Amino acid sequence: MKGVETKYLESRDELLQGLAKLNRRQFMKVAGAAAGAALAQGILPPHSFTPVRVASAATGGAGDFRFAYVSDSHLYTRDKNDRFVRGLLRAVDDVNRMDPQPDFVLYGGDLAQLGRAEELETGAQILKNLKAPVRMMVGEHDWYFDMGEKWRSLFGADNYSFEHKGVRFVTINSVVEADFWTAKGLTPAERMGTVAGLDNGAQSSFTVGDANRAWLAKELEGVKNDTPLVVFSHSPLYKLYKKWNFWTDDAEEVQKILSRFDTVTVIHGHTHQILTNRIGNISFHGMLSTAWPWPYAPQGLPEMTIQMGRPDPFNPSDGCGDGEVTVHPDGMVDKLYNLWNRNPVTVSRAYMKSNGVEDRPAKPALASY
Amino acid sequence: MSARRLLSMACLLGVVFAAERAAAQASASAPHGALAMSEQEKRLDKLGLGSATGAPPARVVPGSWAATIPADNALTPERVALGRKLFFDPRLSADGTVACATCHDVSRGFTDQRPVSEGIGGKLGRRNAPTVLNAMFFSTQFWDGRALLLEDQAKLPIVNPIEMGMPNGEAAVAKIAGDAEYVKLFQAAYSRAPNYDDVGRAIGAFERTLVFLDAPFDRWSDGDKNAMSADAVKGFVLFSGKARCVTCHPINASNPIGSDNRFHNIGVSARHQDFESLASRALSELAKGGDSQAVMDRLALETDMAELGRFVVTKRRSDVGAFKTEQLRNVGITAPYMHDGSMQTLWDVVDHYNRGGEANLFLDGGIEPLALSEAEINQLVAFLFALTDVRFAAQVKGIEAAQRARAKTTRPFRENDLALRKVIPFEARVRGEKK
Amino acid sequence: MRARVIRRAALLALSALVGVWALRATRSADAASARGGETAEVTLCDGQTKVEFAADAPKTAESGQKIADELMKKWREKNPNVDWEAEERTHHTIAPAADNKDLVGNSQSATYGEITDRDTQLWKTESERFVVAGSKVFHSGAELGSTIGVSCDMCHPDAANTHPETYPKYQVQLGRVVLLRDMINWCIEHPVRATPLAADDPRMRALEAYIYAQRKGTPLNYGKR
Repeated sequence: MKGVETKYLESRDELLQGLAKLNRRQFMKVAGAAAGAALAQGILPPHSFTPVRVASAATGGAGDFRFAYVSDSHLYTRDKNDRFVRGLLRAVDDVNRMDPQPDFVLYGGDLAQLGRAEELETGAQILKNLKAPVRMMVGEHDWYFDMGEKWRSLFGADNYSFEHKGVRFVTINSVVEADFWTAKGLTPAERMGTVAGLDNGAQSSFTVGDANRAWLAKELEGVKNDTPLVVFSHSPLYKLYKKWNFWTDDAEEVQKILSRFDTVTVIHGHTHQILTNRIGNISFHGMLSTAWPWPYAPQGLPEMTIQMGRPDPFNPSDGCGDGEVTVHPDGMVDKLYNLWNRNPVTVSRAYMKSNGVEDRPAKPALASY
Repeated sequence: MSARRLLSMACLLGVVFAAERAAAQASASAPHGALAMSEQEKRLDKLGLGSATGAPPARVVPGSWAATIPADNALTPERVALGRKLFFDPRLSADGTVACATCHDVSRGFTDQRPVSEGIGGKLGRRNAPTVLNAMFFSTQFWDGRALLLEDQAKLPIVNPIEMGMPNGEAAVAKIAGDAEYVKLFQAAYSRAPNYDDVGRAIGAFERTLVFLDAPFDRWSDGDKNAMSADAVKGFVLFSGKARCVTCHPINASNPIGSDNRFHNIGVSARHQDFESLASRALSELAKGGDSQAVMDRLALETDMAELGRFVVTKRRSDVGAFKTEQLRNVGITAPYMHDGSMQTLWDVVDHYNRGGEANLFLDGGIEPLALSEAEINQLVAFLFALTDVRFAAQVKGIEAAQRARAKTTRPFRENDLALRKVIPFEARVRGEKK
Repeated sequence: MRARVIRRAALLALSALVGVWALRATRSADAASARGGETAEVTLCDGQTKVEFAADAPKTAESGQKIADELMKKWREKNPNVDWEAEERTHHTIAPAADNKDLVGNSQSATYGEITDRDTQLWKTESERFVVAGSKVFHSGAELGSTIGVSCDMCHPDAANTHPETYPKYQVQLGRVVLLRDMINWCIEHPVRATPLAADDPRMRALEAYIYAQRKGTPLNYGKR
């Protein structure tokens, strides 16, 4: 029984040997056809050289557009922690090198680590260097020191929507936590410190909340069911693992609001890993962090998720990265995870549409355990 | 002039001539700056080599040693003798001037102590010649790992147009097959007539006797607390800790040479490259040439593509600009350093790592600024020198002094702001500031 | 009925105490008012914690309770860690220690007597306390001495991916065979960027304890990568 890798390498060797025997005209014909076939299927063989800009061009077609994403930077101030600042700078550099430039860049939340004004300022300063326009999304690390005061003053409303090339985009604050701090008499710093611990059980579960759900329903009033819909949310909008707030408590209610649409894609942060799920008409894709990777939850992992390999702590940026999303006219997306120092991974439209049968991303060498 | 005076003058002249001849022989060079082959062999005899029958060397796990010997080339004294003769034989080159020992000179740490090697016609390659000492412990040979065994490696420079320049293996064999001595040796070693594969095998067998793992570090590990200086001991602690060396350069009884046998981009070649366009060019060249060993050899040595390293072999993104982790054994006598010989002293090497290598899109994620102080750098270097086999003690003493003197005046890779993490390498570019 | 009696008795006792304190306070207030002040001061039995209040405040049980509450609050602020275990447990759950209930009633010999509930309780409480101490260090960059604000839980929430059951093993990052504490120290030196701990540092021992505890029930499998 040969593995996928072995078969691929053998067929590649055969192809290359065959190529050597062709004359120039035959060679050009074959090369053209092969390249065209690969492009059409959006296939990126695991061992090909796929620099980010080539990879994204391969999945593009007529009517598609692209946006990039950078997420979960968890900045301290520069003199406190240079490593996280370096991560965000690297992501900005990656996006600026994209050719052609993406239509816009989504910032996926958790720009600051402890919600301090200086941390948010540091992040805002770095993001200013992005050439493409930026759309901000808030995370819990940005919010719970001053309940979003500094964030709003820097970046505006936490809930908003916009239309772009026929697709409706909605950004929603999905990290609303029930008040756990007043009864305990916590200071803002203590409140933020509690929320900042992923495994800190003293905090409440993430919700979208009544107010934001009402806002969402109203915002979507009048939007036709066949309009492709993309939702930006920090929490996943489904229930994966409550202990780590890989969880949205009112997920079912939110999904109900979204259920009438033909195609919905949720792009979420918070989980710092490759995460893929499909519930009914909704596809869910996680974003990578620029700061550090999370391990996979001990339970609740969606079937469609093919894990990214276990990160090597010797490389502080292993398991981290940035990426891009190619949106097709039907609203389905190809999600590219640009894992730093690894081959990029694409979770494609074909994979989602076939419910995980076609175009499976490569399995990791070392799994989480 | 009286007969007696004539006689004494003749004697005097004779003595002078003899002395001159002796002096000439002692510093007699072979072509391309190597020491004369006969001189090299004399020094080799004095060094004391490893077992010619494959017995495991001291301090190495026997199973791990056995794993380095291929099934079809068990060590025998006859094979070792044949390989030795071939190693020092310049007839294997097109113009008869280059032997293996030209670039792997016994008197120069079994390398040539030059940045890149010089072949026939004075042609320069792109790679620094790795030492043959302890090379049997590597999983792959060459800086880009394009050969697996010593046997495979030995056959390639012979047919490389800018190294030894033979058109093919058969031509090389033809040059020596007429020598009755060789015919006898091949028969004794492999019970066959001379052939090219056996040339590789024999050289491999000889190289397997070049085990040099008896350094002050080893004696200190065995228990002699005075074997290494206090600085070198501190350097070892840094090596295993703050300086992060041990992850790619582990030294243990199963793998004693300090290489993880993997390929990492530490940024050395990024100093003057644009990797993305180089890589695309490399891919198209490989597709045209059919992926053969010759194409890889040519790319590795001749073109700019040489700077792509392992990528030329695997075509994997993570291998762009990646080179094999070299061994640290005897590194004191195998300057200059890195795949292009661009670093002259061990202080330069540590400066390079201390500043976090050279930032580039494919830099190995494990390379980061180390914030080492001057004292710590000196301690690390002391440790690295303590990895030199005691048989080269006299040689390395002089080299260490010379490197230390140079390091006092020139430190081209030192960048304290980067090392102390005050400056992030690509920050200025990202922020659009003038550098 | 009984409860009410007790409550009333307690209140009486409290007000009596407060009365005594108030009396002392009034005297000092007299002294203070003699100097021209309007407040009185109450000192806790530790001789250090003090609270000021208006000298003309009504001398009721309620105002007495308020003063007592404020004294307690101040004392808690000065001694923040007294309830550290309970506090830590509100943030992070730990796997429970074995309860050894099945041993109660067994006896080894006359010398050691019978194993009692009190014994098993002691063993469990102390074991878990040690593990909770480890959880505290594990989740705190400050306790670890991180110079960049990084704590273990950032990559290992609930000690996920720590795999203590695989040690001793050849640890690639260290280039040799190590035990759990060597890898903990490697992480402290590199991702956490703190000074490595001595092997017998209480923090190291507590960290090990927490990591082992969280992996309760996993079979040992040394050498597994």
